[in-house]
Amino acid sequence: MSNMRILDKVMAVAAAAALMLVCGFTPDPAQAPSADIIVTSAPVYNPVAALRGEERFPQGAQLLLLHAGKSEPLVTGFAATADANVSFDAKTVLFAGKQAASDPWQIWELALADHSVRRVSASASDAIRPFYLPFGRFVYAQRTPQGFQLEVAGKLAATALAPIDADAGSTVLQISYLPASAIPEDVLLDGRILFEANFPLGLGSTPDLFLVYSDGSGVESYRCDHGTSGPVGRWGGRQLASGDVVFTHGASLARFTSPLAGEDPITAPRAEYAGGIAETASGAWLLSARSAPAAHYELSLWTPGADALQGLLADNREDIVEPVVVAPRARPKRHPSGLHDWNYANLLALDVRQSRRGNLAVTPKTVQLESLDAAGKTVVMGRARVEADGSFFLSAPADKPIHFALLDENGGVLRQEHGWFWIRRGEQRICVGCHTGPEHSAANRAPAVLLHSTVPTNLSAVFVADNARGDDQ
Amino acid sequence: MTLRFLSFISSDRIKRHGEINVSRRIQIRAGAGIACVALVFLSMTPWTSRAVHAAAQPNASASQNFASPLEVLLSPDGARLYVLCQQSNELRILNASSFALIKTIAVGRVPRGFSLSSSGNRLYVTNSWDDTLSVIDTATQTVIATWPVGEEPSSVAVDKAGNRLFVANRISNDVAVLNAHTGKEEKRLAAGRGASYLALSPDDGKLYVSHVYPNPPALRTGRENRTAPESEITVIDTAQAAIVDHLPLHEIAGVFHLALSADGRLGVAAELHPKNLMPLAHLEHGGAFVDTITLFGADVGKPVEIPLDELERYASLPFGVAIAPDKSRIYITSAGSEFVTVVDVPRLLNYIHTHAEPFALDLSVSSNYVITRIPVGLNPRGLTLSRDGRTLFVANRLDDTVSVIDTRSNRVSSTIALAGSITTPARHLNENAFNIASSVIKGNITCSNCHIDGRKQSQYAPASKDLAKLIDAHKSYLADSLASPGSKQISPLRRGEQTFYTSRYSFQGQIGCANCHIDSTFDALTWDLEPDGFGRDIVDNRTLEDIKDTEPYKWNGNNPSIPVEDGPRTEKYFWRSENYDNRALTYLAAYILSLPPRPIRVQQANGKLTPAQARGKTIFERTVDNNGKEIPEFNQCAHCHSGSKGTDQRSFEVGTRKITDNVGPLDTPQLTNIALTAPYLHDGSARTLEEIWTIYNPTDQHGRTKDLTPEDIHDLAEYLRTQ
Repeated sequence: MSNMRILDKVMAVAAAAALMLVCGFTPDPAQAPSADIIVTSAPVYNPVAALRGEERFPQGAQLLLLHAGKSEPLVTGFAATADANVSFDAKTVLFAGKQAASDPWQIWELALADHSVRRVSASASDAIRPFYLPFGRFVYAQRTPQGFQLEVAGKLAATALAPIDADAGSTVLQISYLPASAIPEDVLLDGRILFEANFPLGLGSTPDLFLVYSDGSGVESYRCDHGTSGPVGRWGGRQLASGDVVFTHGASLARFTSPLAGEDPITAPRAEYAGGIAETASGAWLLSARSAPAAHYELSLWTPGADALQGLLADNREDIVEPVVVAPRARPKRHPSGLHDWNYANLLALDVRQSRRGNLAVTPKTVQLESLDAAGKTVVMGRARVEADGSFFLSAPADKPIHFALLDENGGVLRQEHGWFWIRRGEQRICVGCHTGPEHSAANRAPAVLLHSTVPTNLSAVFVADNARGDDQ
Repeated sequence: MTLRFLSFISSDRIKRHGEINVSRRIQIRAGAGIACVALVFLSMTPWTSRAVHAAAQPNASASQNFASPLEVLLSPDGARLYVLCQQSNELRILNASSFALIKTIAVGRVPRGFSLSSSGNRLYVTNSWDDTLSVIDTATQTVIATWPVGEEPSSVAVDKAGNRLFVANRISNDVAVLNAHTGKEEKRLAAGRGASYLALSPDDGKLYVSHVYPNPPALRTGRENRTAPESEITVIDTAQAAIVDHLPLHEIAGVFHLALSADGRLGVAAELHPKNLMPLAHLEHGGAFVDTITLFGADVGKPVEIPLDELERYASLPFGVAIAPDKSRIYITSAGSEFVTVVDVPRLLNYIHTHAEPFALDLSVSSNYVITRIPVGLNPRGLTLSRDGRTLFVANRLDDTVSVIDTRSNRVSSTIALAGSITTPARHLNENAFNIASSVIKGNITCSNCHIDGRKQSQYAPASKDLAKLIDAHKSYLADSLASPGSKQISPLRRGEQTFYTSRYSFQGQIGCANCHIDSTFDALTWDLEPDGFGRDIVDNRTLEDIKDTEPYKWNGNNPSIPVEDGPRTEKYFWRSENYDNRALTYLAAYILSLPPRPIRVQQANGKLTPAQARGKTIFERTVDNNGKEIPEFNQCAHCHSGSKGTDQRSFEVGTRKITDNVGPLDTPQLTNIALTAPYLHDGSARTLEEIWTIYNPTDQHGRTKDLTPEDIHDLAEYLRTQ
């Protein structure tokens, strides 16, 4: 171990000890959750910096365990630790850590029984924000030249995490393919991964929430009410036991709930919320909030509907963020990947005339598919015919940013997507229109394009052998 | 859900009754079934031109140790709760306040519906597998008559005067009008396909009829199998006993209970809205089904379809409907989602009067009128409200309970546990369990691999990990079966049935097996499944009745066993979410393989064939055609459709492949109850049996039939209907 690393560790321990003295963590027993809590303590926390490819903790960070009225470093021997995620059985913790300040962030796993740690990612660049997936897998954000991309690692059939073999690569699966960053926020009970990225995807600068299956298929906006979020955006989404997803929206909190197509505001005490709440067994929320931009985030307990936050932990030199409860929790469902062994993907649109922005009065004649080349330059992949009922069927390049434009008979753009999305290799996907919203269920009819031909227009730029035959399962 | 269920049965709120000894056992050994003969004088259906009962097969399905409450009713004075128990073939009478059991009355096989006279003196029960109606004197609590009715009677309604009975017959697709005093049938009125549920208007003037299978396309277009299903509510004038209206239910397949408000101005029907025409590529956004109700009546004008689902939660398999006496609430059971949805009627009516249709496909609409979802037991079905509307009783078919809901708090206030009426001897259960478990793994291994002369052979080593898992599940099955024979233990078959009817395994709880296999049969739809390619391999949904020993499964014959059919494949391409474990899969497979055929009606009571059927049999078995030419063996009907179930379990090219089909040779389907399962052929392109030969067999690949006259074709179809 280098002298530098030893110095880093000494400084980290000293900082943690100082923090304990400063905090004087003595939460009101009546208010304190019965379970242990893990938080990240950092001099500076910028919740959405990673979406810009920047450091969220530019002055370092340290995981703290809040136990029996005291706080203590969760992990020793690291220059920086953050992003705790407790396993479903509450026996282990995934976190992002740097052994030396100059190291890239990597993913580690801590056993709570003996506090032993092991590294579970191996890359030359930052890997942050890990979340457990069912059956020994986890998702995290990996820094790439295109920004942070979502990756899934681990062994599908394993019952515990296994170290990743960086050379083999087969246990690491990239599941986002954007010319911008995507950061995981949570794993929903239905098995999908909640992530944040700037809207429009790959182009914009307003944080928003999106969903994707753990094999990278089915990416979509969580809701399509982007206009209501304004320039401040949404971030820090976490799912409650009820299924609702609570997130930070500007100066307050809001939620997505199953019955509603749009955001549901939460009347919460006025504050700046860091995002990433944690729900206690009693249904109260642990959250990080601050009174002003110049102040530090404090850890508070809030019972929805209450007038005020109840302070739990504060430090006038540190932000206390990313709370997680150390308690067993419901395991999300495993997503059984149905991807085919193809190097392209098929996409069927049922009626592209339909949109939340208003249905098109005329039926487009063609749809133009665009992608990005390795240099990030837009490439027109070609056009496919749009049928009279608004349907089209095409093969698209897989695992690349793509987007569509609907064209009239003169090639003029009638409507086009705001940003980029991707479709996984071997994925067969259906959408109604480009922007109909998740509340819109498709009409039950056989799309005209499939009545004419079951062979998709090949815009994938790869040879499509025996397309339309499927796997004949 | 399992945890909640366990908490229910451990709750001190449960009123538990002791075991009931009844003389009539539903366990009927082979060959000892009740021969139920009824003359049906008129048939309105194109599928069964002459319905004659044959001795029914014994109901050897799931364990008999369960009551399976399907429907509930309150006496007019509210003092008694009548519970119709489908699996124990009983009517149970409970004290509606204390929930104490007053009496158990044996009725016919597989009772499906019941109704009280307005005075409450008579209670009528439809016995769907006996084709009879039990008439019960509620004062003496005895069956005073058993009348023959139509085919698979599913529900009954009685007019206020108590003079006329109306019986919905699922197989004959009609409503029989009977004299309520004599049981004599006055007439039949054609209803929708699979006529099943009835609701009388409060003024007694109109009867509304639903049906569970979509109506067949009226016109041949060549794309019948790619057109949206159509259903209806048939409206009958009760005074004239005549049909006066058909309320169309566009794109609906599967309509269940109906209810009318006390003022008669609002009607509600629970229904399924399938997505069978688009590729089943994923489930999000209602990709396979949306669950809806249709409102009809003066309050809404023309029928309006209303969704019950949300964006990420589905009210799967809506079945029972009740409207509060003051019309403030509608209650709907979701049989697959295991809750009751509570709808605020004023808000609902306000919403539909102030917004433009359509509503059915907008998953956010329900937030405007759904007040809450009340969790109840497994597979909730029928429900009934007290006269003051304050108490709602819900029959939970698959956990043998009745939930009692306080409608002011919208909470379950009590759960009534219904004891099973029959305890099966240990030895019988042992053998039954072993046989069924063995059939699950048939094709991979036989009993003799492990058991030689009844003794375990320890040397057997499974050839694969999957097989080892299967054998473990088989052992678990036996262990579960034998743990407490004769007790109220939940048997493996029961667990399999619970898995079959729940939607909890699918993504966001949208679908379960029972969505497409209504009451464990079929849905009369064709589907476009994703893995074969979009728009390719359109497949008719085959019935599950009597499929034991008919493997391989699927039209392409690719699946050698039910565990293969319903295991990872189903997880990937249907549920799109984490599946059940191997044990649950084994139980599910055992349940499916235990499903018996419904009684075959198109046979004479004496077992002899009619002249037309006999001529058809000759054609079916012929080896020489009408021109005296010898028919090659592979082109003889009876060659491929051989064996007791009409299949040789092999695949053949029969000339029905479409350009959009990947499949080569097609699996030879079994012929069990083929009269009921239209449409036909692998892609459902033939609307009738006759069309198989008159339209889809131009080159005689599907048997030598070009030489047949129309009369021959008719006779051949008549014979097949006896299968």
